[in-house]
Formats: sequence, structure tokens, C-alpha cells
Amino acid sequence: MNDTPYWNPRHETMPRDQLDALQTRKLRNLVEWTDAQVPWQSKRLRDSGVTADQIESLADLRRIPLMTRDDWMQGQLESPPYGPILAASPESAIRYHMTSGTTGKTPIRVLDSMKDWEWIAEMWCYGLWGFGVRPQDVLFVAFGYATFIGFWGLHYAGEKMGCLVLPGGAMATDARVKTLVEMGATVVASTPTYALRMAQEAKALGIDLVDGPVKRLILSGEPAGSIPATKKLIEEMWGAKAADTAGMTELGTIMVFECAEQPGGTHIIEDHYIEEVLDPESGEPVGYDELGERVVTSFGRGFIPVLRYRTRDLVIRVPGTTCPCGRTFDIYDGGIRGRVDDMKLVRGTNVYPRAVEAIVREHAEIDEFQIHLYTAEGIRDEIEVRVEIPDPKVDAARMLADIEKELADSHEGLRFEVTQAEAGSLPRFELKAKRLLDERTVIGTEGERRAQA
Amino acid sequence: MTHQMQNHMGDELTEAEAELVHCYRHLARTLEMYDDELSPFEARNGLKALAALWQVMNGLDMDPGQVYHLGA
Repeated sequence: MNDTPYWNPRHETMPRDQLDALQTRKLRNLVEWTDAQVPWQSKRLRDSGVTADQIESLADLRRIPLMTRDDWMQGQLESPPYGPILAASPESAIRYHMTSGTTGKTPIRVLDSMKDWEWIAEMWCYGLWGFGVRPQDVLFVAFGYATFIGFWGLHYAGEKMGCLVLPGGAMATDARVKTLVEMGATVVASTPTYALRMAQEAKALGIDLVDGPVKRLILSGEPAGSIPATKKLIEEMWGAKAADTAGMTELGTIMVFECAEQPGGTHIIEDHYIEEVLDPESGEPVGYDELGERVVTSFGRGFIPVLRYRTRDLVIRVPGTTCPCGRTFDIYDGGIRGRVDDMKLVRGTNVYPRAVEAIVREHAEIDEFQIHLYTAEGIRDEIEVRVEIPDPKVDAARMLADIEKELADSHEGLRFEVTQAEAGSLPRFELKAKRLLDERTVIGTEGERRAQA
Repeated sequence: MTHQMQNHMGDELTEAEAELVHCYRHLARTLEMYDDELSPFEARNGLKALAALWQVMNGLDMDPGQVYHLGA
């Protein structure tokens, strides 16, 4: 086997004009397959006047109608359990998964075949190999192995690559930490939040991770893998390099990964996806270096064709050449920067949880935190940030004041109240963390009054 | 002969890559033609191999299409 930094050297270093041609051809094939196999999608395409033979360039992509999560959900409600989205018979499927449900909505349900699962693992191989994971590595997967798709694909990618894979499901945090150290894991996969949680547990157990066997962390499931302060904290606590990745159940796998050069963002796997970045309000494309919403078209999952799916993820795209790794695949600078609906308006100022986390995580003494929105005196938005500072030797009062100032300075002077929570009192998370608690009775962003309990 | 194989990008495949393409095509044809004759261990392991080789075809821009009708 060649010693190369790329999983697929031909595609990952392909010049942009050839990449455009490859994507155009694959788009044509995808439209043809979808039109023939999925009547619901076919109607949408034909209502927009789109047929495969008309796809001549990537400019034709914009003629395809956008699809939303609501469209998907409505289809599922009308044709349960999967909706009218399947391109093959359910008898061809070998696995069922669903979304994690952290949005509180009905989960999206998906099916995949044997070939699709090989592809799902293939996408993770781009990420693992690209970050320097090799067959001799020992890969510990700190994940619950249930119906949420999470790290299932990474597990199979590790096996495909020849790694020794340790499935860390159904284990308490202390058992996971002990196992991965005892078994000499060189790579650990988890959410960013859980990587911190395991590091805190190791400290409590008296286990020194920094001098331990782990050299790489594969992070996914939350934007924090690309928040510099959080990432730095994780890398320091583990004494290992951390790579951000991001995926979605709607695709079955990851669509972006951070390479070994750690360019401060994630490469888009452009030979398997077309990623557009649009203004979430107007739907018009935004250019490089501008914040917009990801819209994804996936070539890989034939069982559920995904054409121009609005993800609600906010990203800033930059050219692949900004990374020295040699890949031509463009990059999402800073990874997934949040969700279109994450933004909270507090007394006229936009507040993104990610921006708050970026400041809080600059203070390594903080174990956990929570953003609490509430209504004061029945009329006024207030924002409180609760932090846990377990070390009694830390000058907590001074730290709280410092964070208050830093948050205000980065939010147009907005007043934050930063308070100390009792150590261990805030919620801990294994999967996607939910650190924002909105208990406002008057919603500043919408001007509506919530129903009183 | 295998040196002459080109993919859909117009690139010539190496001899090793062309051999993998032959392997996939031969396997797909075998599964399609002889499915009724194959015992469970032959058919299912054949499909598993096909699903893996499909990734090679796809990565080499040989446009393998879909294989759900074969059971993969």
C-alpha cells in the first residue's frame, strides 16, 4: 500500500476544473436515479423543469428545488415510517437509524443497504486517514452504539483501515477512561464535550492522560471541535492532537473533516458532496469568507437521495489552498459555526452559544458551564452564564468578573451575569451537549409572551 | 490490454486499478447470473465483497451505478 497522506489521492488533489466536471457528472447521475426511483422527488424535480439530460454544469444545480427538514418530516408523517424518500425497497436495507432528537422534534428515520454502509465508512476513512490514523492504531470509540448514527460509521472505517477498534458502548465514564488507557488506545473518538468529561474523570482517578498512549482525538457531534479555546483545552488535557469532523443522520456519515495540518477548519469531501453556502434569508449564494447556511447534495447514499438539503448549519467557506496539505477540497473555516436557529436576541444584541463558549473555555479552570436566559421583573431579558470552578484555590470572584467583562466586550457591551455553580451541579453530556437553557417568559427575539405554566 | 482502461474523467487507469475494475465487473456479473445457484455463504460473502469493491469503482470514477437489485 502506498504511503500517502490522502485516502483517495486522485480526488483529494484534483484541480478545481476537474472537480467541477466530476461533480457535474455525478449530479446528472443522481438526478437520473432520483427521477426514476423516487416519485415524490421526481415530481418536485419535474415541477421545477429539471431532468438529468439538462444538467450541463454546476450552475444547473440552482434549478433544483431546495429541500427542508420540514419537507422530510411532512413526508414521514404522511407515509410512515420513512416517508416517500426511499429509492430502493426496504427489503434491501440492512440497518435502521434515526436522528438524536436533541431538537425535541420527531426524529428522522433512515435506512441503508450493505453498499451504502460501505460508503458511510468510506467517508469516515477520508477523515481518519487524513488526520494521520493508520492501520497500526488502536481506536477507542466512546459512544453509546444505539439508534443514533453517531460514530457507527467511524467504527467500521477503523475496521476497514485495519485498526484495532475498541467499542466503548454501555460503559460509565470511569470505565471508559480506565479501559482506553489499559488497552493502549492511540486514537479516541467522542464529542468535544465528552472528551473534556473523560479528561476530568481521568484527573479525578489520578490517571495522567498527557503521558498516556492517546495521540489523536477525533471529535464530532458539536461545533466545539473547531472552537479554538475548547480545542486547545482538550488537546492540553489529553496531550494529543484533536481533529474536528461533522456529519448528519440525513447523510448517514460525515461530510467534512480536519486534516493533519489542522488549518482551523474542516475540508469538504467534495468528490462525494456538493456543498453550497446560501444566505439563509434570501437563498442567494454567498462568497468565500462570508457566513451562510450549508446546503448539501450527496452522491453517496443511493437509498435516500439527498438533493439540495437545507441543513440550517452556519459556515464560512474558504479555498482549499488556504491549507498547506495539498488537498484542493475547500474548507469550512472554523467548522460548523452554529445553527441558523441558535442565535438568541437579548436586549437587541445577537448572542450565539458558540461565541460564549469560545470565551468561557479560555479559562481552563472551568469544568462545565450553562447559558441561562430568563425574564426579569416580567419584562426584561437577562442572560446569565453559570460556571463550575471546582478548584478552591482559584480566585473565583476575579474570574467571574473577568468573564463578565470579556463577554460584554465581545457583545456590544451587553451585560452578562456570570455566576458560580456548585461543582458537579450542571448537566453533563455524552452526545450533543445542550448548554443553553431558555426560560424567558417574554421572548425578546419574537416579542411574544410564552404561556405561563 | 488493462493499460488502456480509462475512467469517466478521461484518465488512464494503472494496471493495478484496471485489475480491480475487472474484479468488480466479474463479481457483479457472477452474482447476477448465478444467484440461484449460489449457497448462502457464497452469495452473501459475494455481495459483501461487491459492496466494498463498489467503493473502488466509485473512487476511480468508473460510475458503477446502483446495486440494490443485486441485494447490496
